[in-house]
Amino acid sequence: MELMKLEIITPNGVIFDANVKQVTLPGSEGEFGVLARHATLVSLLDTGVIVIETSDSKQVAVAINSGYVKVDEIKTTCLVDGAVALFGDDSELAKALEVAKELLKSTEASNIAIATAVSKVEQIGKTL
Amino acid sequence: MANLKDIKRKISSVKNTQKTTRAMKLVSSAKLRRTEELAKRSKVYANKLTELIEEIAQKMQQNQVGGLDNIYFQNVENPKVVDIVFVTADKGLCGGFNTQTIKKVNALIEQFKSQEVEVRLRAVGRKGIDYYKFNNFELKSEIVGLSASPNFESAAKFISEVAESCVNGETNKIIMVHNGYVNMITQAVKVDQLLPVDSSKLKLEVVSTSEMEVEPDEDDTLLTGLIKRYIEYSMYYALIDSLAAEHSARMQAMDAATNNAKEMVKKLTVKYNKARQESITTELIEIISGMESMK
Repeated sequence: MELMKLEIITPNGVIFDANVKQVTLPGSEGEFGVLARHATLVSLLDTGVIVIETSDSKQVAVAINSGYVKVDEIKTTCLVDGAVALFGDDSELAKALEVAKELLKSTEASNIAIATAVSKVEQIGKTL
Repeated sequence: MANLKDIKRKISSVKNTQKTTRAMKLVSSAKLRRTEELAKRSKVYANKLTELIEEIAQKMQQNQVGGLDNIYFQNVENPKVVDIVFVTADKGLCGGFNTQTIKKVNALIEQFKSQEVEVRLRAVGRKGIDYYKFNNFELKSEIVGLSASPNFESAAKFISEVAESCVNGETNKIIMVHNGYVNMITQAVKVDQLLPVDSSKLKLEVVSTSEMEVEPDEDDTLLTGLIKRYIEYSMYYALIDSLAAEHSARMQAMDAATNNAKEMVKKLTVKYNKARQESITTELIEIISGMESMK
């Protein structure tokens, strides 16, 4: 399967930068998935969770509060205000899950969006 | 002849000052390293954001759909009111760091006054605020504490108020002045036009010719949001840049102070030794002449 480059950047630094198979993004007009060779697209991102399928077919997630994404044929760039990466060791992960929930709850998004995102984070916590 | 005791006291006092300045230098260099790291990391975001805006602007121009007449891009021919946002440190003891910024702001005020433009000042950092308060210059808004520890939320809040007044027509132009970090030993005052976004400065070469989808696409939500973010981030970045420059300036100033103190101790020690020698000689002469008179 063809790979594409994914970058997730926050004001405090780069959170994720690697080649991936697929990424699912919480767009403001609804969730959407991106594969390599996607048409150029710029979209607003809502509070939610970015789900990434890495090159070795593992799933990782990054919780974000809001931001922008720019997709072109070879590269996807996410510019987000705040993000928490949900991967790493068990102890790190447990901490990250808590931080992620805090981050999601602190946003100004609608309650429904927050609730959806938080439950998704919890689900990820269970499956990983 | 200077009193021996006085000189001794002076030497120890200068030595103490030297200790203080050396400690301050060390603190600044540690802080500088941290701030530099922060600046490096946030630069990635700043660059990507500018890239994205450039690309959208370029697409709009290429397809001639307008949009560059968006309020944020509209350049006012003869501005009546100009807002100057400037960043100074909260603390002194950093050489000419703050003065340089203030001088630049004063020059800009003069320049705009000669064009009969009203200037409103918005100050970040205690030193700048103190200066203009002392000179009875009214500040439109001011904030203390932000330049010592920049955080995105407060920076965004501060600058969005400024941007608001530009959008509703209160002011025509927003200019930002800050003393930025170049390298360990140089700082440079930077003047940027924040609003309206200078579309002539954006690189508008054709990057890719493929069509671009935009979501949400009803109105200017995306572009407006992006530009807001761009302004907020420019402010935040200016703060970090200024903080790094402040630390490097302080490091330099304290280094110079330490060296000066060293020099002074050297001079005083020579003076002390001379005075000591002098007093010994006098004493000897007294003893000898005493003995002579007893013969």
